Amino acid sequence: MKYLDKETFLHRLDPRTKILAGLMVAILIVVLRNPPGLFMLFGAVLVLFGILRPAGSTIKAMTIIMLTTLIFTMTSQGFFYAREPRTVIFTILSPATGSLGNITGGIELYREGIIYGALQSLRLFSAMLLSAVIVMSTYPSDLLLGMESMGMPQRIGFIITISIRFIPSLAEESKRILLAQRMRGLNVKGVRGWFRAFYRLLPTLIIDSLRNARRIALAAEVRAFTGKRTRLKELNFSMRDWTFLGIFFAGMFMLILYQVVWS
Amino acid sequence: MIALDSFTYTYPGANCPALQDVSLKVKPGEVVLIRGASGSGKTTLLYCLNGLIPHVFAGTFCGSVQLNGFVPSDVPLHDIARKVGTVFQNPESQIFMMRVEDDVAFGCENLCLPGEEIGRRRDESLRFMGLWDIRRKETFKLSGGYKQRLAVSSIFAMQPDIFLFDEPTTDLDSEGREDFIGIIRKLKEKGKTVILVEHQYEDYLPLMDKIIDMEGGRIAKHDASAKKSPPARRALGLSEPPAIALKNIRFGYDRQADVLNDINVMIRRGEFVAFCGNNGSGKTTLLKVMSGIFRPRRGDITILNIDKPALESLVGRVGFLFQNPDEQLFAATVEKEIVFGPACLHRKTNVDKYLEIAGLQAKRFNHPQTISRGQRQILAVISIMAMEPEIIILDEPTTGLDDTAWHKLIALLYDYVDCGGTVVFSTHNEKAAAFAGRKITMYRGRIVSDEISR
Repeated sequence: MKYLDKETFLHRLDPRTKILAGLMVAILIVVLRNPPGLFMLFGAVLVLFGILRPAGSTIKAMTIIMLTTLIFTMTSQGFFYAREPRTVIFTILSPATGSLGNITGGIELYREGIIYGALQSLRLFSAMLLSAVIVMSTYPSDLLLGMESMGMPQRIGFIITISIRFIPSLAEESKRILLAQRMRGLNVKGVRGWFRAFYRLLPTLIIDSLRNARRIALAAEVRAFTGKRTRLKELNFSMRDWTFLGIFFAGMFMLILYQVVWS
Repeated sequence: MIALDSFTYTYPGANCPALQDVSLKVKPGEVVLIRGASGSGKTTLLYCLNGLIPHVFAGTFCGSVQLNGFVPSDVPLHDIARKVGTVFQNPESQIFMMRVEDDVAFGCENLCLPGEEIGRRRDESLRFMGLWDIRRKETFKLSGGYKQRLAVSSIFAMQPDIFLFDEPTTDLDSEGREDFIGIIRKLKEKGKTVILVEHQYEDYLPLMDKIIDMEGGRIAKHDASAKKSPPARRALGLSEPPAIALKNIRFGYDRQADVLNDINVMIRRGEFVAFCGNNGSGKTTLLKVMSGIFRPRRGDITILNIDKPALESLVGRVGFLFQNPDEQLFAATVEKEIVFGPACLHRKTNVDKYLEIAGLQAKRFNHPQTISRGQRQILAVISIMAMEPEIIILDEPTTGLDDTAWHKLIALLYDYVDCGGTVVFSTHNEKAAAFAGRKITMYRGRIVSDEISR
């Protein structure tokens, strides 16, 4: 999941709008309990995901993850659902079959469990897809800028920026250290080998990172870094953002209203 | 105007001063080169000018420093940064943002300038440094040369009058270095004051208004001392089968492009071979193919009589030194570091002998990461030699070393070759290549010349 350098409607939204929308979806996920409502929420998030026109590979990966999760939760909930009432739709081991049935309490598939599993995954997918939408449509530093303008201290924002910035370098470095270990005859095959390599890799990586951190600190000093900064990019909350949030809020209201009336 | 008057500085906890009685005057718009061995005080001198001394490094000092009418110790560091910009050696650790244009704006944002002004300065700086076309590129994807250019651009946007460079091109290839001369020239034309610390300064000499030699923390009165020449070598035997034989080798990281294109080369036992060429010419890739790290897509490869060898079959017989020694030191003490390779291979080794060759007897029980940069490089090489490989392959072994460590390394490799070993190394340093018996030059994945000297 990475930022997509495109110019869609979602890209032009203020990062704060997207953070707020994310919060609203989080509330809905907790509050909504009825299947149609959760379906509509998922549908709405799916539309946003579609607007981004993600690459085929991304869609494929997402589908695989979601299907696996769905099947797994549905089966596990189906078998282990404990709340009454529950309807048995399939029996593998009846509670009446001798001592085995006694110990296990019977192994049966419950209809309510399957539905509950499906709804749980639907909640998870809405959250997952929406985070994907935010990450793919907002440049990381803009997202941080949004959070900063909503009250997160600038120093913390800077720490996060720097950590993200150095992830690729760290990965590369680990690869090089591992290779160097192999060239010196360290057997890195198997679980034990992996542990051996890891045990050797970590101190080297940490010492090197600390050395690097010192250099970074000096470089930040000579660039006048004090923790207080102005920003080139000014966030502006435009009409577009208000409209989007308005529609989003109306939708949220309707979904909750629907649930109150429906139940 | 920069003026130092009998300035003496001692680092906290140090016994002797790092700078001693240094007096110096630099006029606005002058371009000054500072040269000298490691530990001669070059970097310390720069730190006094940009305020890192005494704001970050405490310690004791006497004498005076004046910069354009102010005294660095009286002004907070972030205000000094408006007047004095510093570019360090390591390009990686001077980049803070994920996108080129954001990084150029970083310094100005720290100066708390209004957004419009930041945008104006950023764009001006991007154009001036020739980064405009790649302004939206991700910083970690840039080459070393461009990273360094970005670091200058980021400083330039802060519009200081004085630019300090601390070995800015040590990590760059010859192309990046030529590029860098252009940058210094541009700054000079803009009327900026430039102070440059550099080991490889030959190419810069025409630009310099003044050259300062430093020695043991003082400004030396005479020219830099004459270089020791390395010992002469014995001739190599040509009758044995080759150590490395490559035929029609092709290699690429992905399907689209070949990094190595039709490489044919034979290296005999006892040869000392340098591979030269710019970054991206494929020399590091070729070295990795020779050591079994990468397997070629096409072609025949024979190393020490093994056809198409896998990495595991060469471990212990072919030693590989990666660019950064710090990533190759894993043990808890210098002694254990030397034993590490042989122990993994269940071989016995004479630690005392190797400690002596390396000149690290006194550091025997120190942690490898606590010894100096040059010593770490020597230790990394010795740790490979302790495995008694038949071939040693080194990727840019001379990067970042001062003359002393440099000559030590070359002498070690000469001794190893004299004992029948084969050495292959890559370098973008002409001086280092001259020590090899054979120089192979690469350009865009091909071998363009193969000369045997001496």
